[in-house]
Amino acid sequence: MAHPLPPGLTPAEVAFLAEMEMVTIVPRQRIESIDLLGGKTPTLRPPHRAQVPLWLALLLKKQNRANIVPPPWLHPASLQSIIQREKVEDPVAFSPPPPPPSRIKIGGTAERINDASDGVSPPFLPSCTADAPSGFLPYHWQEVAEALLAHAGDDMPASAGEVRGLLRDLAEIRAAKLRSSSSAFEGFGDAGVSLTGVGAMELADNRAFLLGVIDGVRTLGAGAEATRREQEEEERAERGDEFNDSDEEMGI
Amino acid sequence: MSYYDLDAILTGAEKIPCTFQLDVPELGYLDNNPGYTLKSGTKVLLPLWLAEMLAIADMGDHQNPDKSFIAFDLPPAVGKDVMAALKADPRSVPIRNQSPNFYNLAKHMMDLAEERELHAVVRKTFLTRAADISLHARKSGGAVSKGEGSNLGIGAAGEEFLRGLDEWERILFRKAHDGARSTKQWIEGIKKRY
Repeated sequence: MAHPLPPGLTPAEVAFLAEMEMVTIVPRQRIESIDLLGGKTPTLRPPHRAQVPLWLALLLKKQNRANIVPPPWLHPASLQSIIQREKVEDPVAFSPPPPPPSRIKIGGTAERINDASDGVSPPFLPSCTADAPSGFLPYHWQEVAEALLAHAGDDMPASAGEVRGLLRDLAEIRAAKLRSSSSAFEGFGDAGVSLTGVGAMELADNRAFLLGVIDGVRTLGAGAEATRREQEEEERAERGDEFNDSDEEMGI
Repeated sequence: MSYYDLDAILTGAEKIPCTFQLDVPELGYLDNNPGYTLKSGTKVLLPLWLAEMLAIADMGDHQNPDKSFIAFDLPPAVGKDVMAALKADPRSVPIRNQSPNFYNLAKHMMDLAEERELHAVVRKTFLTRAADISLHARKSGGAVSKGEGSNLGIGAAGEEFLRGLDEWERILFRKAHDGARSTKQWIEGIKKRY
């Protein structure tokens, strides 16, 4: 009954997972490639940008050996357009996650890069680097944004206060949406909530509550559900009989 | 609903108004009449666990198999008045005053008696109040970090609402509050890392 931890990941665990998101840095000094368990880091040569995991980027930033290039979606204009979309254009759904990267084939048609080929799938696609699409919130948006604001505030495209304000607005709007999503369970059967585009941290925050609501609805409706199922079973049995009869007729 | 669920056990002690359908010798003490026969048609309050058993048990009477030991009414906590009030505004009813295990009780009554309307009202009540609980859970944690009292920006009405939560809703409140609090703690602690 009383588990020491709630189901799912705690915010600290989610933040730890977010540290493997790739971000773009501009190194300030030459650093040779480091051989790590997860693979080699790129050799850092000062004017050239490089992609490194968030944890390494923050470490280098702290040591003043690199500057972090914030992802385009963290730009105030991008955040504002997302807020606009969440508030005005679609006040129910969450803004969509970034589209999978695509490349232009000869002849002008775009095709999606085969995710399986390089072993990464949507939550782990490099969506926080400098060439990520703007206007879309990636899976780890809240964690990466907070970490960058806290430790690389001087690398932000605008004042850290402005970006933080916009982020808080966005988080509030989406939290309100998650809260009101529970009312979708009022109907029978066809009820459902779409969580497409919801970030990892928001899920960690609301998981226990949403599961509690769903469990409550399920418990309350268990009796009615059993009755309904019995009825369906009976109907199916009747229909099945008819079906068999017609089958026999066909056989004759 | 586990065997060891304290709330489920406590729900079993809720009193249900029942009418006996037959005479029971020596059971008069249930009706403040010790030593006498409990007459058929007497109304007594029985705990839910007993009423449930008596209502669904088979009397072995083959002439009228639908007859059972007792007939029960809905307890006042899920009665007409409360349902009407809940239908009007789920938020304004302190359902804890009706029963600390309101939803558990309602669930048992729905299982015993097929009450479609009761089901619809209770479900709507639960969901409407759940959205409010989540809001309060988020807000009431907000002021703690600043060293002030809780319930910032909610005021007396919010406290009144929180006092009226039943056991299910208290658990829900705790879950929502813990989620919001741990996220907040993470955001506040992020400066110290690295």
